[in-house]
Amino acid sequence: MKILVAEDEAVSRRMLAKSLERAGYEVICAENGKQALEQLCKLEGPRLALLDWIMPELDGPSVCRAVRKRKEHTYVYMVLLTSKVSKQETVLGLESGADDYLTKPFDAEELRARLRVGERILLLEDRLVEARENMRFRATHDPLTSLLNRGAILDLLGRELHRSARERKSTAILLGDIDHFKQVNDTWGHVIGDEVLAEVANRLLAAVRSYDFVGRYGGEEFLVVLNSCDPDYAPSRAEQIRKLVSNPPIQTAKGPIELTMSFGVLQSADWGPRSVEELLHEADMALYEAKAAGRDCLRMAKPGARVETSTPALPQPVRRGK
Amino acid sequence: MNENNSPLAEAVWNQAALRERVDHDEELLRELLAIFDEDFPRMTKSLEAAVADGDLKSTGTLSHTLKGMLLNLGGERAAAAAAKLESLARTGKEAALNDALGAFQREAASLLPELKAYVPEVRG
Repeated sequence: MKILVAEDEAVSRRMLAKSLERAGYEVICAENGKQALEQLCKLEGPRLALLDWIMPELDGPSVCRAVRKRKEHTYVYMVLLTSKVSKQETVLGLESGADDYLTKPFDAEELRARLRVGERILLLEDRLVEARENMRFRATHDPLTSLLNRGAILDLLGRELHRSARERKSTAILLGDIDHFKQVNDTWGHVIGDEVLAEVANRLLAAVRSYDFVGRYGGEEFLVVLNSCDPDYAPSRAEQIRKLVSNPPIQTAKGPIELTMSFGVLQSADWGPRSVEELLHEADMALYEAKAAGRDCLRMAKPGARVETSTPALPQPVRRGK
Repeated sequence: MNENNSPLAEAVWNQAALRERVDHDEELLRELLAIFDEDFPRMTKSLEAAVADGDLKSTGTLSHTLKGMLLNLGGERAAAAAAKLESLARTGKEAALNDALGAFQREAASLLPELKAYVPEVRG
């Protein structure tokens, strides 16, 4: 584990560094408070720090305060080294954000014991962060395909539409549905159906750029959001994605299965400032047209093609694959 | 090596405490003494200049640093003298600085021969 030793006095710095190296730490040294803060602000910087109270440039408590202001970063466990022992000074040190303090000259065994306390706290933080990230992932992702779930993809689409309107760019929305998916389930069973859904998800993800979004919209429906997509380019990109999903046949435990997808495609630039619900409704209508045209194809949603209503209906799940 | 006959609790050089602190690592001890040999005269000169100039801030900072260095090396009496200087500087007692500097210089003069005598012992 990395540890920062910030101490302006060379004998103490070397003594501390050596003692910590013996204890198995990877020691990084700083000769003043400014250098210490720079090290602690690095992305992969040390998470354990021993800071001398009095240092040039920036003293130990000031370093603690600066580190604690960066709320979005991982926790740094900081121990102040001090010859100050009054109650008032101890309180000042801890109030600045230090987790502990050690009086000089330090005792090597006590120092290591106190650092082990810090390591336990950091480990606990790691576990909490991991648990929170797992919960966040489960709340926003579909467990079968690991794609964004409906709520998460709609949320991202809403933000993307705002961004593209602000930057005068266009977002392409592709609403896709696996053709005759019910037959896959009826013929091969739900386990194979799940295999097919997972593979379709993989193919969709592989077909888009790293900054595009793919989500599972419903049972066998998927929503693809192509960010900053040139309107002239959107139909051909959508066609490309559609073909990539269909070819080659999907390998399953019960052999290869041929399947196709239909898509309704919409370019946000063609529709002006509309809500996510309105745009999805139009994409859904275009998808319906693609199904009606024999499936295995895409249709572009066209502004002005329908009589508009003041309160458009929310998109309803349509079991077109049946 | 400690020939401290002073009634003060501190030793001129508490060698045992230093050895304990470095886990009896002779190589590290040699390294630390080499750092001390290089830094101590330079810092002492700066301290003397700060006292002569009546620069309380620099006097406080330098005596604090010297105190830490000496404490780590077991130079307890010299460290106590540096602590006295630091305290006077921080509380603005400029008039008492010269006497306190003299006391510090005397303690340093007692310590240095002990450390220098020890270096060949380490090397040996």
